[in-house]
Amino acid sequence: MSALQEQFVTEARELVRQATEDLIALERDGASPERIDRVFRAFHTLKGSAGVVELPAMGIMLHAAEDLLAAVREGALAVDAEIVDTALGCLDQVSRWVNDFETAHALPVRAGEDGRAMAERLRALLPGRKGQQAGPAAQDSEAQGSGSLLPEWVARLVAAQRDAMVSGAPGRLFAATAICYEPLAGCFYTGDDPLQLMRQIPGLLAFHIEPREPFGPLAELDPYDCKLRLLAISAGDPHTIAAIFRLVPDQVRIITIPPGFLAAAAESPAHREQSLVRKVIEAQCELLRVPDRREDFAGCLGAAARAAANALRRGRLPHLADTIERAAALALAQRDAGPLLSALEQALADFADSPSTSGPDGGDRPIAAATGSSERPADRVLRVSEAKIENLVNLAGELVVARNALAYSARRVEQDFGGSEAARSVQRDRDAIDRLVSELHGTVLQLRMVPVAQLFGSFPRLIRDVARQLDKNVALVTRGETTEVDKTIMDRLFEPMVHLVRNALDHGVEDREQRRAAGKSEAATISIAASRVGDRLVVEVTDDGRGIDPAVVRRKASEQRLLPEEELSALTDEAVVDLVFAAGFSTASAVSDISGRGIGMDVVRSAIDQIGGRVSLQSQVGIGTTVRLDLPMTIAMSRIMVVEAAGQLFGIAMDAVSETVRVTPGEVSSIKSNDGFVLHDRVVPIISLAELMKLPGRRPDATAARLLVVMETAGRIAALEIDAIRDRLDVVLKPMQGLLAGARGYAGTTLLGNGQVLLVLDMKEILP
Amino acid sequence: MTVRRGDTGSVILEGACTVEDAEPLLQLLQANPTPAVDWTTCSQLHTAVIQVILASGAQIGPCGDAWVRQWLAPELPQKGKPG
Repeated sequence: MSALQEQFVTEARELVRQATEDLIALERDGASPERIDRVFRAFHTLKGSAGVVELPAMGIMLHAAEDLLAAVREGALAVDAEIVDTALGCLDQVSRWVNDFETAHALPVRAGEDGRAMAERLRALLPGRKGQQAGPAAQDSEAQGSGSLLPEWVARLVAAQRDAMVSGAPGRLFAATAICYEPLAGCFYTGDDPLQLMRQIPGLLAFHIEPREPFGPLAELDPYDCKLRLLAISAGDPHTIAAIFRLVPDQVRIITIPPGFLAAAAESPAHREQSLVRKVIEAQCELLRVPDRREDFAGCLGAAARAAANALRRGRLPHLADTIERAAALALAQRDAGPLLSALEQALADFADSPSTSGPDGGDRPIAAATGSSERPADRVLRVSEAKIENLVNLAGELVVARNALAYSARRVEQDFGGSEAARSVQRDRDAIDRLVSELHGTVLQLRMVPVAQLFGSFPRLIRDVARQLDKNVALVTRGETTEVDKTIMDRLFEPMVHLVRNALDHGVEDREQRRAAGKSEAATISIAASRVGDRLVVEVTDDGRGIDPAVVRRKASEQRLLPEEELSALTDEAVVDLVFAAGFSTASAVSDISGRGIGMDVVRSAIDQIGGRVSLQSQVGIGTTVRLDLPMTIAMSRIMVVEAAGQLFGIAMDAVSETVRVTPGEVSSIKSNDGFVLHDRVVPIISLAELMKLPGRRPDATAARLLVVMETAGRIAALEIDAIRDRLDVVLKPMQGLLAGARGYAGTTLLGNGQVLLVLDMKEILP
Repeated sequence: MTVRRGDTGSVILEGACTVEDAEPLLQLLQANPTPAVDWTTCSQLHTAVIQVILASGAQIGPCGDAWVRQWLAPELPQKGKPG
């Protein structure tokens, strides 16, 4: 796939995501012009890119969607569920095709027909459509109709080159086209000659070239960095013009100027405004020249000053307005109109000299900065492929391993040459490298941190669709979208979140009637909130539905024989509610399309467990349910303890270790063949790691103290008997690969400082 | 080479000035404290060359490139006739 095609795939997905979001917001919050505009632009850009990578089927479909949205934008059509549905359907089709395009580099054979069918569906929604009049003109003109929609630079250009235009124009009303071309900074390197394109414009009426920002000193000019903006107005055909700029559509704006605007420009808006400002100031002067209005002198003076100042501000001359106000204060203090009058007269004189009235030859001044603000702001984000980041993370990980190796060497130096200058020097360098590597690793991991907004973004659509299917009225509230989390965690979070949200929609939220009967508002709320608590990410999915009734769960659990009756009855209500996470549990009386197949919550728990997270649930009958996911921010780094048993080293994740203790034989009591001891009033079984790993070990010396690592995992507590604790390390765990990928009981491997491979145990699996 | 230093110290552009001429032009203009460009004998100007001229604020006389003379030159400050 070429770079262009790759870019298309990335961009198209982004645009589909954005348009989906906006469409749903459109339906939910009503149609604001900006939002409609955003949706329209997304479709427009999609269509443009589809054209670039030559996918005509997609183009046909998107063109129809664009027409529909244009009708919405013009107010000819009100947004309703059907329009949103169809537009979303169109986006779904785009997504599918983008996937096809990515894998097969082409659309399916049926794409043409599908595209036309979708286009028909979209067009069927158009109000009173007459024939097939979807003129391609719409695509080229971003603003048509009234002159008030025209960007300021058009007015400037028209005003500045009025004389040239009048002589160039046939004197009648005619439509014209305005072109704003901002070549890329590096365009000279790619062989572009922007002026050459401008030279080809037919029927040129006005032309202006200017730096996008003022040129610096000549000594610092980079002759191959294009900093220019080229503006033109042409009486030529917009299609011909669009064809000239077809290779730089992203750098050019082509705008149709409606007939009449040029004629009106003979008395340009800027000019009209200026003469108005002038008239207002002149009127104030006359007013002030009227003598003897003693009784209302202050009021009269204040009013005159205010009127003049406002007029000047409107004429974009705030500094003159300030002068007027200062003079008015002085005049009031002196009870003499003189200072204000002379300030006004001065303002009139200054006004005449000010650059905005200097007419057609004011061209060397950069045309209003507003041109820049109407363009999209420069995107300072660098797009880097995930694979490269992954590579960098791996390298930084290897560096951490190398640092651990250095620590090992440094210790050996310390042992052999302790106290020497060389040993101290090695120690110093090791500390410096230690710090730098930690910083580097942290920064690199930061690269993978993405805002959870990317994850949350898919839920408005999901909730809308499912809620419609279930005929429920559900609003989504999201909070903490900017919270950042490791991309790996986020990717693995998606499916569990979908389960949770579906469950909330299906089981949590009641029917409309039930909600009314319960005295709740018909519209339910599901909220998804992310927050950072210490170094953990907490995501909560909350609904204000019926809640989970412990009694119901107890009954269902008993029916489904999840636990022996006596155990079940011994459980507290909280523990009973937690049973919804048990495999095979379902409270739904009927299997629905949405959820209720008895899978779901247990899948959620195991998925969250796998990424080192915890799931908990809080529910109040009649009020609602909150599922809380407590997750690590990143899974790339683990802190492990290196222990020795029967001469072999093993790693144990530190988060499973609660403490290490040494017990004397007297403290150990044997129950049958098992040893145990009492710790904090609890009986803790002792398990020998050597036996667990089936290593040939000597029987422990019955009289010696035993070294135990106490670990709590999955609600169980156990003490692992080991021979020695060797080290504590921050490591990058590599999952078991190849032949060992299926080996159970191991969390992964890591390299030790001396090059030895360390197996890190998965205590959850290993403890009996 | 279509860029050269004239007898009077001004920089003379001749014939078709391409993108490669932008750099030598800039160097000549940077070396001259009161830069001036004689573009009467050039036939076609590349955008990069135009940019250097715009940034230097120096040019003399009617431009040999008809399109530039019609559309661009009127906007630029004139510095008198070529010497």
